[in-house]
Amino acid sequence: MRKALLNGAALVTLALTIFPVYWMVVTAFKPTRDIQSDTPSLLPVNPTLDHFATAMSAEGFWSYWRNSLMVTGAAVLLALVVSLLAAFAVARLRWRGRGVFVVAVFAAQMAPWEALLVPMFIIARDSDLLDSLAMLSGVYFMVTLPFTIVTLRGFLDAVPIEVEEAALVDGATRFTAFRRVIFPLLAPGLMATSLFGFITAWNEFSFVNVLIIKDQDKRTLPVWLSTFRDVYGTDWGATMAAATLFALPVLVVFLFLQRRVGAGMAAGAVKG
Amino acid sequence: MPAATRAPAPPLARTPQQARRRARRRTSPWPYLLIAPAVVAGVLLLLYPLIRAGVISVQHFRMGELIRGGATFVGLDNYRELLTGEEFWSVLLRTAVWTAVNVVLIVGLSTGVALMLLRLGRRMRVALMSALALAWATPIIAATTIFQWLFQSELGIVNWLLDIRGYSWFADGGAMFAVLVILVVWQSVPFAALTLYAGLTTIPVELFESARIDGGTSRQIFTKVVFPILRPMFALITSLEVIWVFKCFPQIWVLSQGGPDGATTTLPVYAFKIARVLHRYDLGSAVAVVTVVILAVALVANLRRMLRQES
Amino acid sequence: MKYRLLALAALFAVTACGSTDPGPAASAAPAKLTVWIMDGSVTQELLKQFETDYEAAHKGVDLDIQIQAWDGIGERVTAALASTDAPDVIEVGNTQVAQYSASGGVRDLTGKIADLRGEDWIPGLAEPGKIDGKQYGVPWYAANRVVVYNKDLWAKAGIEAPPKTRDEWLEVTASLNKGGDQGIYLTGQTWYALAGFIWDEGGDLAVKEGDRWKGALDTPQALAGMEFYRRLQALGKGPKDADEANPPQHEVFAQGRVGQIIAVPGIAARVLEVEPGMKGKMGFFPIPGKSADKPGAVFTGGSDLIIPEASKNHDAAYEVVKALAGEKFQTELAKAMSFVPNRASLAGVLSGDEGTAAMAAGAANGKATPNTPNWAAVEATSIIKQYMTAVLTGNDAAAEARKVSESITTTLNSGS
Repeated sequence: MRKALLNGAALVTLALTIFPVYWMVVTAFKPTRDIQSDTPSLLPVNPTLDHFATAMSAEGFWSYWRNSLMVTGAAVLLALVVSLLAAFAVARLRWRGRGVFVVAVFAAQMAPWEALLVPMFIIARDSDLLDSLAMLSGVYFMVTLPFTIVTLRGFLDAVPIEVEEAALVDGATRFTAFRRVIFPLLAPGLMATSLFGFITAWNEFSFVNVLIIKDQDKRTLPVWLSTFRDVYGTDWGATMAAATLFALPVLVVFLFLQRRVGAGMAAGAVKG
Repeated sequence: MPAATRAPAPPLARTPQQARRRARRRTSPWPYLLIAPAVVAGVLLLLYPLIRAGVISVQHFRMGELIRGGATFVGLDNYRELLTGEEFWSVLLRTAVWTAVNVVLIVGLSTGVALMLLRLGRRMRVALMSALALAWATPIIAATTIFQWLFQSELGIVNWLLDIRGYSWFADGGAMFAVLVILVVWQSVPFAALTLYAGLTTIPVELFESARIDGGTSRQIFTKVVFPILRPMFALITSLEVIWVFKCFPQIWVLSQGGPDGATTTLPVYAFKIARVLHRYDLGSAVAVVTVVILAVALVANLRRMLRQES
Repeated sequence: MKYRLLALAALFAVTACGSTDPGPAASAAPAKLTVWIMDGSVTQELLKQFETDYEAAHKGVDLDIQIQAWDGIGERVTAALASTDAPDVIEVGNTQVAQYSASGGVRDLTGKIADLRGEDWIPGLAEPGKIDGKQYGVPWYAANRVVVYNKDLWAKAGIEAPPKTRDEWLEVTASLNKGGDQGIYLTGQTWYALAGFIWDEGGDLAVKEGDRWKGALDTPQALAGMEFYRRLQALGKGPKDADEANPPQHEVFAQGRVGQIIAVPGIAARVLEVEPGMKGKMGFFPIPGKSADKPGAVFTGGSDLIIPEASKNHDAAYEVVKALAGEKFQTELAKAMSFVPNRASLAGVLSGDEGTAAMAAGAANGKATPNTPNWAAVEATSIIKQYMTAVLTGNDAAAEARKVSESITTTLNSGS
């Protein structure tokens, strides 16, 4: 009885969680006529790939992809490297000013990014960094950095210090100990953290909208996502198809990482 | 390794022994070298723009000044205009309600989901986790577009399912607010739930069992065993959600532009309207500065606790 | 590990360099001119044709025509004007051009009016582009809304001729609105249509009193316009909380169960894209006025062309503007897109097509939105749309009108 209740609740949660995503995908496969139909059908009765064709034939589609991957990838990798260093200093070393640093990092998450758009634009303009993907990566890196440090530090804390000390006793250098012992334990944490950064940077629209101006080939996917709307209206089918394609990489990365993350967390738990 | 004598550290908890054992090499330059890249980045890409925003907030800086330059210093005029205006205070109150409603729902629901995940069978658990992952990974812009479509009055599936065709969710302030809460909660629960679940899995099964043998009810187990262990994690998630929900913007702007009749104008929406619709970058920057101050004050207890814990 | 870290660093360096490398084009190379055109303004083929012709006629010029999406366009144009290397020509909506002109980032083209044959520019485009006697925006094209109807449904309902007055219009629409068919598909937030009804009553969206603007939706005239909108809107199933773009009304009309829509005639091409079977089944007539002697007032929508001060090729940019606003391209544009050309003397190209003829008839009574830089902000915040939804869903019209008028007043007077 309890079991059934539990599973029932789980099913309801599952349905509520997944329905909007499902509806997005189904709508993407429906012909326009059916999308506007009076009685919505839960399945695509006359599935079509038209909307995907429209979405993919949009001008600059492939360069948008390349740019998004490049900018997001660079931002995430850089954030990981920089925060790994900082997180290690915070989690494993004692130094004057550490508390202040930790609080500052946490507070940095409150940064009102929307409001920094204009100052950031001015800075980019005055340093001749408009239309530059490096500048964009830099901004995305900074947006994700505080959270990355906080989470990585958490994951580092979860790696018991005894493991590292044992290695040090065995005569390993600090760096070797880190590389051989801590890093493998940390891998799932790194992945989970990078996923968050990936989603944040992948989604960003405001900054690319004003930092990339004349060099249209340097825009990213969120810009493309908004191109299926003109004076006559929004092409819902194409928008949903585009949204599906847009979400796809994130889903793939997530599903790929999720197993590792879960396994890593469990392993961490046992060893802790 | 004294695994049996102390609870394993959840990702963000640390015991005093650990901290003490970490105390070594007080004057080494290493820590500073290690944090240097982060500090440099933060100064260049966050602090400097923030200072520029602060400067703009005490200038007469609008579209003309952005394009032509030549902004003039006006002292605290913008702050005066903001703080003496009626709208700001009602927006602030609305933002507080918005944040409170969302955060309570998010933390409550995700705790429920996390506990549910812990008890589910393997297959069901993987299915639910994947669904959560899907919802979380769906880009904000995409998700917002979908919700607009779901709640459309004539063709939306929600009205069709509820058999209230023609009812407009977007016409009434309360209903609009509710739709936005549903959207934000839907987007936020996965992260919180998955993180809490990961935290829950670090609690050894023996603890649950012994508690149960001692005759504890589920509720007691949660309040006496689970919550104390995961307290730092709850604190972190709650404060992160406070920040995120408070700052939440694209969802509201796309769905309602802060309407109808201002019913969903929270601080970020208000700031956007001022800065980027009216092109009053000066007043907008003042809003941003005030926003940061408010968030800092709201979370001051948490920040203080952090500082105390760290040193 | 070291190698892996190095590899990461190298990777980042590569992406970073790769993206900064292609600097601004060297000045010795042929002038590259960037032109921003809004999505949906001109067909790809026509633009391609223009580009080829122009480059052939102007040796050494490389035209880069970029289609701009609507989302975030206001900020993009602002950023472009504020940048140091802006696009050379930008198309901006005629309700937006005032705010850009007022900012000081747009080139003053007053001296070129004669050269552009601006003596008979249509006022709905020329006036918004003009601030304090200086002409910043060059009129490009205009369009106003007409009623598009489904001939099959009209025949079925036994309607012989398009209505000439509002009362007839309501009657006809009511007789169409039965069974599964909608008399008219009018969404609750089609505010350009509302503006027309208000002007017909003698009201306005906002009025200037001295040097202050005042929202005027709460005047008896404006309320009468809203009341007519409410009665018309009720004769169909248009959602009360959406505008004509969501879902696109041409997609709804293409299903064949809708008697009429209010739209620019160019929408016919979109309808045919969705449903080729509608060919020959669409009729057009000007929006009826209060009496039969004069069609209803309509909002003149359209675009102006501007040259940013921050463009590095002012003179070359002007040549492009001249070509785009010149007779040859205007004729092609009007024919291809069913637009009203920028000069009254070119209106002849529209005869012969039922849709554009109806539009031209209505254009005689065309009006513009209040000419103030801040009007763009009123549109961007959707307050008029939300007011309409509130009234249509049963709220007290007078009270809602007072609130929205106050909002408009605040917005219009918030200095820039």
